[in-house]
Amino acid sequence: MHTIVCVKQVPDPEIPPAKFKIDPEAKKVIPPPGVPPVISVYDERAVEAACRLKDKHKGKITVISMGTGKVSDVVRHALSMGADEGFVLEDEAFENLDSFGTAYVLGKAIQKIGGYDLVLCGRQAADWGAGQVGSILAEMLGIPVITLACGIEVVEKNIRVKRIVKDGYEVLEAPMPSVVTVSSEIGLPRLPAGMSLMLARKKQIPVWKAKDIGADLSELDRTKAHTEITGLSVPTRKTECEIVTGNTPNEAAVNLALKLSKLI
Amino acid sequence: MDTHKGVLVCGEMAEGRLAPITIELLGIGRKLSDQLGETLSILLMGSKTGSLGQEAIAYGADKVYVAEDGLLDHYNSDAYTQVAANLCLKVLPSIMLLGHTDIGCDLAPRLNGRLGGGLSMDCLSLSIDPTTQLLLATRPVFGGNAHATVVSRSARPQMATIRPKIVPPAVRNESRQGEVIPVEDKLDPSAIKVKVVDRIKEEVEGVKLEDAEVVVSGGRGIGSAQNFGMLRELARVLGGAVGGTRPACDEGWVPASAQVGQSGKVVSPKLYIAVALSGAMSHIAGCLGSKYIVAINKDKEANIFNVAHFGIVADYKEVLPALTAKLKELLSA
Amino acid sequence: MASREVFWNISYGYVVYLLAGLAIAIWLFSFYRRYQLWRQGRPDERSQEIRKRIGIFIRTTIVDVFFHRKFLRNPFSGIMHLTIFWGFVVLLLASAIDAVSYYSGLHLIGTPYLWFSLIVDLGGILILIGLIMAIYRRYVLRPKGLSTILDDGIVLTSLVVILITGYMVEGLRQAVTEIKPHPDWAVWSPGGWVFAKIFIEMGQEGLRLWHKFLWWFHSALTIGAILYSGLAFSKLQHIIVSPLNIFFRSLGPVGTPAPIDIEKAETLGVGSVRDFTWKQLLDLDACTNCGRCEDACPAWATGKPLSPRKVVQDLKAHMLRAADNPSNQPESTPPLVGEAPGESEIWSCTTCGACQETCPVYVEHIVKIIDLRRHLVMAQSRMPETAQLMLRNMQSRGHPWAGLQSLRLRGDWTSGQDLKILAEGESVNTLFWVGCTGALVERNVKATLSMTRVMKTAGIDFGVLGEAETCCGDPARRAGYEFQFQIMAEQNIEMFKSHNVQEIITSCPHCYHTIKNEYPKYGGDFKVLHYTQLIADLIGQGRLKLTHELSSIITYQDPCYLGRYNGIYREPRQVLQAIPKTRLREMERSRNMSFCCGGGGGHMWIEEQPGTTKINFMRIEDVLKTQADTVVTACPYCLQMFEEGIEHKGIQDSVKARDLIEVVEAAMKQS
Repeated sequence: MHTIVCVKQVPDPEIPPAKFKIDPEAKKVIPPPGVPPVISVYDERAVEAACRLKDKHKGKITVISMGTGKVSDVVRHALSMGADEGFVLEDEAFENLDSFGTAYVLGKAIQKIGGYDLVLCGRQAADWGAGQVGSILAEMLGIPVITLACGIEVVEKNIRVKRIVKDGYEVLEAPMPSVVTVSSEIGLPRLPAGMSLMLARKKQIPVWKAKDIGADLSELDRTKAHTEITGLSVPTRKTECEIVTGNTPNEAAVNLALKLSKLI
Repeated sequence: MDTHKGVLVCGEMAEGRLAPITIELLGIGRKLSDQLGETLSILLMGSKTGSLGQEAIAYGADKVYVAEDGLLDHYNSDAYTQVAANLCLKVLPSIMLLGHTDIGCDLAPRLNGRLGGGLSMDCLSLSIDPTTQLLLATRPVFGGNAHATVVSRSARPQMATIRPKIVPPAVRNESRQGEVIPVEDKLDPSAIKVKVVDRIKEEVEGVKLEDAEVVVSGGRGIGSAQNFGMLRELARVLGGAVGGTRPACDEGWVPASAQVGQSGKVVSPKLYIAVALSGAMSHIAGCLGSKYIVAINKDKEANIFNVAHFGIVADYKEVLPALTAKLKELLSA
Repeated sequence: MASREVFWNISYGYVVYLLAGLAIAIWLFSFYRRYQLWRQGRPDERSQEIRKRIGIFIRTTIVDVFFHRKFLRNPFSGIMHLTIFWGFVVLLLASAIDAVSYYSGLHLIGTPYLWFSLIVDLGGILILIGLIMAIYRRYVLRPKGLSTILDDGIVLTSLVVILITGYMVEGLRQAVTEIKPHPDWAVWSPGGWVFAKIFIEMGQEGLRLWHKFLWWFHSALTIGAILYSGLAFSKLQHIIVSPLNIFFRSLGPVGTPAPIDIEKAETLGVGSVRDFTWKQLLDLDACTNCGRCEDACPAWATGKPLSPRKVVQDLKAHMLRAADNPSNQPESTPPLVGEAPGESEIWSCTTCGACQETCPVYVEHIVKIIDLRRHLVMAQSRMPETAQLMLRNMQSRGHPWAGLQSLRLRGDWTSGQDLKILAEGESVNTLFWVGCTGALVERNVKATLSMTRVMKTAGIDFGVLGEAETCCGDPARRAGYEFQFQIMAEQNIEMFKSHNVQEIITSCPHCYHTIKNEYPKYGGDFKVLHYTQLIADLIGQGRLKLTHELSSIITYQDPCYLGRYNGIYREPRQVLQAIPKTRLREMERSRNMSFCCGGGGGHMWIEEQPGTTKINFMRIEDVLKTQADTVVTACPYCLQMFEEGIEHKGIQDSVKARDLIEVVEAAMKQS
């Protein structure tokens, strides 16, 4: 079985809120210096999901990532977790795309790779968190999609997915190929280890430009974007916090209890 | 874009009634359509909608499109997308609103993919730009660290999913008039590729997180599943529920269904006790609606103190037992 | 002239030599078989530098074997072993002298003979005293760390019987040849003399008969004991294996694992017995199960599942099993880490090195445990959750402090400080390497700032890396995630070189050890100083003056990676003693016998396995016994651990934990 996983490099989501800076004019986030970008958390879980399927059913995992800069880092991370092949999609035309543009580029790359049974994405990116690329991608590829997966199995020719709903989960089945978006409930990603870890260091990661995947540049024309960010701001929400004290933590706890009992 | 007119709400039903989120959507939808001077419609999908069409009118809808089919009994991504997309192509709404629920989260992006609209997910507020008459959607980005305003200049419909309990629900008015229109198009069963095999309800012990008046949440600092016992004990004394941050859920210390935060549950209890969690924005986004937030953390620089009303700077292990004991004593008195 | 006839009353006595020769041959053959066991292991470089090894071996033999340096740390068992050891040396020499004199015809006579008799007899008595102590200890006192198996009983009983019968044989001979004719000779063999007095009433015939019988019995038992120890590979074998192990001991710094060539390695870490090196397997045989390591182990002391002794013995069982399964089919042998030793044992180790420090035969426990962790982590992806969290954080953020990222960033501590923060390509001679904990954890940042102020006052020109500094790799390496360590080591070395760094001053002993002793294997040879060395030097040169009286009673915690790993005991004490009106009171366990704080080996992040108490809680009791008002350390982990221990005990008002540099700064200030 051949799984293609789409991953994204994002600014570290654990940046201290006090250090979080934006450029409201450019509508961009300014990552603090010295904090390297990371693989988006949900995407890393999508890689984990793919690796678990590979552990069980063998086959192949291909990873693609669109972006600029050292995107190959996240692809290599996925390779070291157990993916077999990786491609970076980098082109000026790919910068600042909306969800449709992103899905279009990923779709073109997926079609170029071809021969896939499953496409996995994170449920949303940890940066802009639009939460729709997977579904649009499925519509573009004309294949079924299941969102918010917390478990994936292969049952005969079908993919069987546990999808999170508010009071539990549903078990859904779709023919392959399908797109599945993965939620964090699928479980902790593995620490890169073993053979894949060694191989990933040496692996070549080709970079594909728009023309390599046959992307129509007019589709990526920014003036035709479906959505546009017109404002970006950092919400201010500072409450005066009353620090409850005492001579010992014990005493502080008792003082807090006295206060709380009046509130509830 | 004069071809597209009106606001269309995608309704949800729960236990034979309009879901609370749908009433909220009708409230904000009414406001937006009044500003535009256009109509507010709602689509109800199900096996049996009964008198809910009239209900929706009472809550502010001008038109109610009712699609009834056995295949729509439960949410199915393929079936719902098909019905909603067909209706949109027919009525050409300018704005389409959905709830940011597990249905909306799935349906909205698919619909968007099919219709080629412009979608903003998990919106906190919606308004109409007075000059351009475009929908301005405000949504959290970067795990809640920032808010972005999103506009669709040309793509239609302008779509948004709205987080529950953020906008006030519509006020019921029995005397309102409206039209209930059955959707005639038959569902094409061959287009339903994704089949529901099973639905599993996870029983929650005690109070449900979303309904709890008191929520005690723990983070990575708790250290182990066993230590969560202390939080559970406190929650029991207060008649509340236990939640956790994403890392705590990842570690398996609390079930994934108890995750509070942007990618988990959004709660707004009277009292939210945040224990040994630093307060990443994505977590805070899930509890900011709480009336009182109490933070217990070793690190006085933890972000949680920026949003808390009361705080103790100490190791939670030294605080919780005394806090629980004292509260127990005070509450039983 | 006083003398005695060798083989008096005995015909065919030479048979004993023949049999002994045969027994020794069998004994040697058993060694050969054992050698085959060790050869299952991978190659090691331990057979190089033979000349250096010989020198060190001689020194170690004198200090640790002849003078029993390590044994005597525990007086009872130390004296016990010392008496047995020297007693046997005497008897062995005596037997050799006997054999030589018999065949060369050069007999000891007169006064030298009498002295010889006395020394030999006293040698035997020494052994007997030792054996009685051993029996008393093993079967009456039964100390916790001592595990007793059948072999112990067999060895002790047979030795006692051999010795007693030896004296009896001597007494029977004396009863005939000395007691009456030369009573003045007899007392020179006090052991025999006692029996001679007892047997004297027996007739000549009886004496000769009993003598003959017991003589043969004694000889047969001795030869039997040699045969037994060879065939059963009894603990007596340590007479040979221990020196062998000492000869091949690590000459490098303690607890430094071998690099893995990630690109070429066939296996990652040790997953089966054959992944160990031959020296590591030799270690397993050299272990006499004496339990000294267990007594010293902080994990064991606090009720954790780990006993270094048991780990070694369990691995030995695996080695023997592997030998029975020469085809090396993994299915037929249980996994190395699973039942015994279990994973929780392997993850309890803080790599403090107390076990190795105390081991009389220089078994190297730490690297074995790290090798086992390597396989668990890199080949099987099995590790405690907290270890995984830490390692994942190192991978994505370059430091092990998971969760702290959302509070502050690496370079934050430098803000508002007038420091030379190295820009890309900027050169500096002296780099102050802060370390993750010193840069990120609030309490430790205070010490870091103290350090920069003290260095500035002393007029040292230094630079810092600020946000560009990453982890040195230590926690990853100790947790077995060699891959991440190597990446970090290579990156850091490259960065040092890009700034033309010549000298690195570290505040964390773990960074110090890693950069100083482990980076050279990756091409990074820099002059590395721990700040305690620098400060001691500055005080010596008069560039720092500690003039302010502190009126404090201080106790000093030797950080494991500074003390046991690098032998830095003197400098921190010099600094503390230079402070006016400050008294330094040592804890009972200090210097090389210091007790870990609990934070090493990745345990600053990896949660302690469940036990009866936490290591730092136990150590704080040692602090309290000194009645010091301040516990000073020179390691950020120790500082954290003591802060936690003090808070746990609720004694913040009476005891403070401080970094040595904070104390130095306080002593510099003019009152």
